[in-house]
Amino acid sequence: MYLGLKEMRHEKLRYTLLSGVLLLIALVVFMLAGLANGLSNGNRQAVDTWQAQTVYLNKNANQTLSASQLKLADKSKLTGNQVAPLATLAGTLRTTSNSKKTTTNALATSRNSFLMPKIVSGHAINGKNQILISAGLKAKGYKIGQKVRLGTTTKTVKIVGTYATNTYMISPTVYTDIATLNRLKGAPITSGKQQTINGFVTKKSQFKTSHHGDLEKISINTFINKLPGYSAEQLTLNTMIYFLFVIALAIIGIFMFVLTLQKQPLFGVLKVQGIGTKHILAALLTQSVAMALIGIVLGLGITVGLAQLMPAGMPFVINWSQYGLYSLALLIAAVLGALLSWRTVANIDPAVAIG
Amino acid sequence: MTKPVLALQHITKQFGHGHTAVKALTDANFEVAPGQFVAIIGPSGSGKSTFLTIAAGLQTPTNGQVLLNGTELATQSEKARLAYRFNEIGFILQSSNLIPFLTVTEQLKLVDKMAKRPFQKDKAKTLLAELALSEVVDAYPNELSGGERQRVAIVRALYNDPSVILADEPTASLDTPRSIDVVERLAKEAHQHQKAIVMVTHDQRLIGNCDVVYRIEDGVMTRQ
Ligand SMILES: Nc1ncnc2c1ncn2[C@@H]1O[C@H](COP(=O)(O)OP(=O)(O)OP(=O)(O)O)[C@@H](O)[C@H]1O
Ligand SMILES: [Mg+2]
Repeated sequence: MYLGLKEMRHEKLRYTLLSGVLLLIALVVFMLAGLANGLSNGNRQAVDTWQAQTVYLNKNANQTLSASQLKLADKSKLTGNQVAPLATLAGTLRTTSNSKKTTTNALATSRNSFLMPKIVSGHAINGKNQILISAGLKAKGYKIGQKVRLGTTTKTVKIVGTYATNTYMISPTVYTDIATLNRLKGAPITSGKQQTINGFVTKKSQFKTSHHGDLEKISINTFINKLPGYSAEQLTLNTMIYFLFVIALAIIGIFMFVLTLQKQPLFGVLKVQGIGTKHILAALLTQSVAMALIGIVLGLGITVGLAQLMPAGMPFVINWSQYGLYSLALLIAAVLGALLSWRTVANIDPAVAIG
Repeated sequence: MTKPVLALQHITKQFGHGHTAVKALTDANFEVAPGQFVAIIGPSGSGKSTFLTIAAGLQTPTNGQVLLNGTELATQSEKARLAYRFNEIGFILQSSNLIPFLTVTEQLKLVDKMAKRPFQKDKAKTLLAELALSEVVDAYPNELSGGERQRVAIVRALYNDPSVILADEPTASLDTPRSIDVVERLAKEAHQHQKAIVMVTHDQRLIGNCDVVYRIEDGVMTRQ
């Protein structure tokens, strides 16, 4: 400890540079993690707010909501409380004058279903052709009472309420009832039990009998992982993060190894004086952990700072427990990197110092 | 005569095997008692450093025994020999004795850290004053003259109260007046503090202060 820290103090430039490299790695790890979280959240936020357990889709839909077609009447095949129908339409929200256009994901469920978001201003849907908009759309200038178009039809709907920020597959959401959505889709049936929907979302439920036609039961986690692009995106970003841990380990390992080779005569002198491998290794560990800590702390600080400066449209979410875990992984990489020099240190022959 | 603190008996050291074998030491016998200042003198390649490394437990002899206060050292584990070096031996090397990133005071503090005891401030002060180093206590080794560096190495060796101090050509990088100064200080430490000090040199002029002189020639050691 003493040896390691004193050396760092004396060789400021060398250790500052190495800390700087670790800072950059930590920064990239934290930025990538923030983006991965942001993208993940952007994709699944709507699903997470449901706090549901199970989803029922058409078994031929490859577990994808938009590809699934069911009828409202299929609900009779399920038992359980809180079984909510769900229909979606990815479409453009625009003002009647076409002066404003925003890509949204419209979600429809029955008016009193548990999927309906908590109203922040305005009122819940209580009649035909009404929609609720999420905070992101409100921020874009859409207002309660405004008549808007959704999708490609010329039919208009009225904004009657707003709710908290909410996105599904990166786009801000709009909520409406099943009949309104079917009308906007131009579906042939726009009332009654024969209306088409995409699936059912439930908290606790099961099939009534083993004869359940085309219905397939999937867990909410499977549902999220099957969101188009979601798994591939997360896998890509997470793989980059895991590679960075390996790179951090390699960089510390190589640096410490080169420094150890350079300092062999010094370590020889230490051994002559009875200061053994254990103490030398402790010094190397102190140094790499200290550098990693400097890099991590500064990296976190800069990440938080950059997050404030990021444009609102950039999906970036800081998850502290995850950052804690990644910091720990970087620290472990630093410790392992230093330990790579263990054999070299152990093999230094004190007799060489005597010459 | 007082009992020897360090004794080497019938030491032989051979490097390599067969017809390429080099015999660096042949049946060497040596002893030093507390308060004695002993010189080992011999030409280059005669086996002086080999002798010192064996005495310090840095190498094991091919044959023979190293006795420190009567205890056999050669058969002990590497760990035990490390502790022995730290506690019982003060080593002064030809050069690069000091740790480049520690100040003079910190070199001594390190010894205390390793021994897990608080810094012995008064002892450090007294020793540094004895060797005329009070002015440079906060200097780094590269800021010291060669003579100052050797004196710091002597302080460092004495600081841990070892039984024996082994000095391998401590004056090699110094001019004659400074060499004589360093040797005189070593002699004084031996006599004043009852230390056993062994100094290797190839300079005839420096052995005037020594109580005993051993000569090595081609690995054969003779007491003068
Ligand atoms: N590790 C080793 N392997 C092989 N031969 C060695 C080794 N160490 C020393 N020798 C040989 O042993 C002999 C004595 O070497 P040593 O270093 O003890 O000499 P020295 O008296 O200290 O010389 P100098 O005054 O030049 O330092 C030399 O012939 C040397 O080549
Ligand atoms: Mg030598």
